[in-house]
Amino acid sequence: MAEQNTIQTRTDKLKQKFGRQNWLAAGVLFLAALAFPIFPGVEGWMASQASLIILYIIAAQGVSVLTGYTGLVTVGHGGFLAIGAYTSALLTKYFAVDLLVGIIAGGLMAAFIGFLLGLIFLRLSGAFMAIGTLGFAFFIGTVANNVPIFQGREGISLPPNRILGLEIEDLGFYYVSLFTIGLITLFIYGIVRSGVGRAFMALRDSERAAESAGINRVFYRTLAFSISAFITGVAGVLNAHIVNYVSAEVYADIWYSVDFLVATVVGGSAVLMGPFIGGIFVVMVPFFFETLADFAYILKGVVLIAVLLMAPAGIADLLARPFRALRRRQLEQAETGSTNEAKP
Amino acid sequence: MFGQQVISGLATGSLYALTAVAVVVVFRNTRTINLAQGDFSMIGAFMALIFIKDLGLNYYVSLGLAVVFCIGLGILVERLVMRPIADSDWLTLFTATLGVYYILHGVAGWFWGRDTKAFPVTFDPTPIKVIGGLLSQGHLINMAWAVAIGAALYYFFKYTKQGIAMRAVTDDPETAELMGIPVRFIVLLTWGMAGFLAAFVGVLIAPIIYVAPEMMDEVLIKGYVAAVFGGLYSIPGAIVGALLIGVTENLAGGYLGSEFKTVTAFIMIVMLLAFRPQGLFGIQHRREV
Repeated sequence: MAEQNTIQTRTDKLKQKFGRQNWLAAGVLFLAALAFPIFPGVEGWMASQASLIILYIIAAQGVSVLTGYTGLVTVGHGGFLAIGAYTSALLTKYFAVDLLVGIIAGGLMAAFIGFLLGLIFLRLSGAFMAIGTLGFAFFIGTVANNVPIFQGREGISLPPNRILGLEIEDLGFYYVSLFTIGLITLFIYGIVRSGVGRAFMALRDSERAAESAGINRVFYRTLAFSISAFITGVAGVLNAHIVNYVSAEVYADIWYSVDFLVATVVGGSAVLMGPFIGGIFVVMVPFFFETLADFAYILKGVVLIAVLLMAPAGIADLLARPFRALRRRQLEQAETGSTNEAKP
Repeated sequence: MFGQQVISGLATGSLYALTAVAVVVVFRNTRTINLAQGDFSMIGAFMALIFIKDLGLNYYVSLGLAVVFCIGLGILVERLVMRPIADSDWLTLFTATLGVYYILHGVAGWFWGRDTKAFPVTFDPTPIKVIGGLLSQGHLINMAWAVAIGAALYYFFKYTKQGIAMRAVTDDPETAELMGIPVRFIVLLTWGMAGFLAAFVGVLIAPIIYVAPEMMDEVLIKGYVAAVFGGLYSIPGAIVGALLIGVTENLAGGYLGSEFKTVTAFIMIVMLLAFRPQGLFGIQHRREV
């Protein structure tokens, strides 16, 4: 019995250590991102490019909550991006609200619409869900194009960004984006490790089995939709304020929706780091090959297919494999090592 | 006005139908929504353009060669991309075809440029009187092609060994395998058929629109919507869905304005899915625990 306890404490300690290492790595990454603007060789335009990457990552995180953890494929999150963007844009224009208010309002508005969409699509899955969400994105695009308040292709120009009363430029916006993504990542981490996250994943793995285990399908599906929409809506707010301009030209484009899905799949849809890698990929490929748009297309397709063939759980999962193997070995050693000691 | 809109809607719908049928045929045998279906057509249209313009071949010979080329393309995609991941989940299959879409898009843009090209065979706009309205001769020819291909497919699925085997694989791939049906070959044939249908759509639609890498995007979306409308498992359902979408969007375009064309198709599908998640002709498949 005592033996058993020592093994238990050893493995527990090791697991705690792994946990600390994870937090440390995340902390170092965050600090590096904080210090990024003072690195040598970093120029002004990079801050706004980095903000763009961050908002793509946030949008992909929204998709990963729905598609990765809950198993509902969405090709319509560009619609939530637009809802977040227009909500904040209209509030800023007509009520001169703070960016912080804009972010929260945009997210909540998207979450509300997401909740409704979740209710409408309660019984859909797979190909049916994909076409339904795509239709939603088209619908939102048409609304933005034709309802007068959104000013269609002319667009709405916004005043300079103010957060907490402070006027900010590119660099300040970068920090706003950075703190936003930090909070959202913690939020997703919390959800995934809680009962809610387990309910999502149970629904993903088998709806029938989850339901017979007492998981309320209606509640958790609409919850997943709302959370996912909230996150992508926040990304939409950032997307509006990064250029201080919203226009149907941008938000009627369904390729946003597809890009977010690609980012999620390439990075890894059910891995916390997945959207980060996917987001960087989706933004940087067209950026590097701006003059070679066709090559960017081909590269995107080849990478996508290569990932699906070789690492179906995404690049983040592929990169994490050696670390996981190392830790597993350490854990095994902790177990067998202690039994060997106890035997003689 | 109304009758006129309906008739020209049916003409466009008949081309959507060919794409929708291809989507259904591939989906029900491989669980894959083929997002590259439109790009198969686009490649077919480009090949026909080259055969006619640069090699000076006859229209029908070019059409035949484009069909052969697209069948090859379908088979190639199956062998290189789809077969290794055939047992994966739905999302993997879906995004893999998106990868093919990107590649074909990029390749077409690379070889032939992004600007639109006119197809060397002109669309014959001579109006012909049909019941209730006028229809241009070109549309009439396209409809005739669509009907002929539909009849050929009907014959194939009803009377040929391969067609019956294909339906058996749809119903139950495992039992089909046990009955000695070469499932892998049938799946290959399925993708070949997708290429076959795609080539016709591409070459028939090219004179109406134009030839460019993104020429088929809209048609693909409508074909996919039509296939879902019909329930994704039913070929007649897909055809009905495609014709319905062709007519409705034409009416919406005529009465509301052309920017409402595509969204009408989507509003239809969203309304349908909200009340009948399995589509109009769909069967509610028993889901396994």
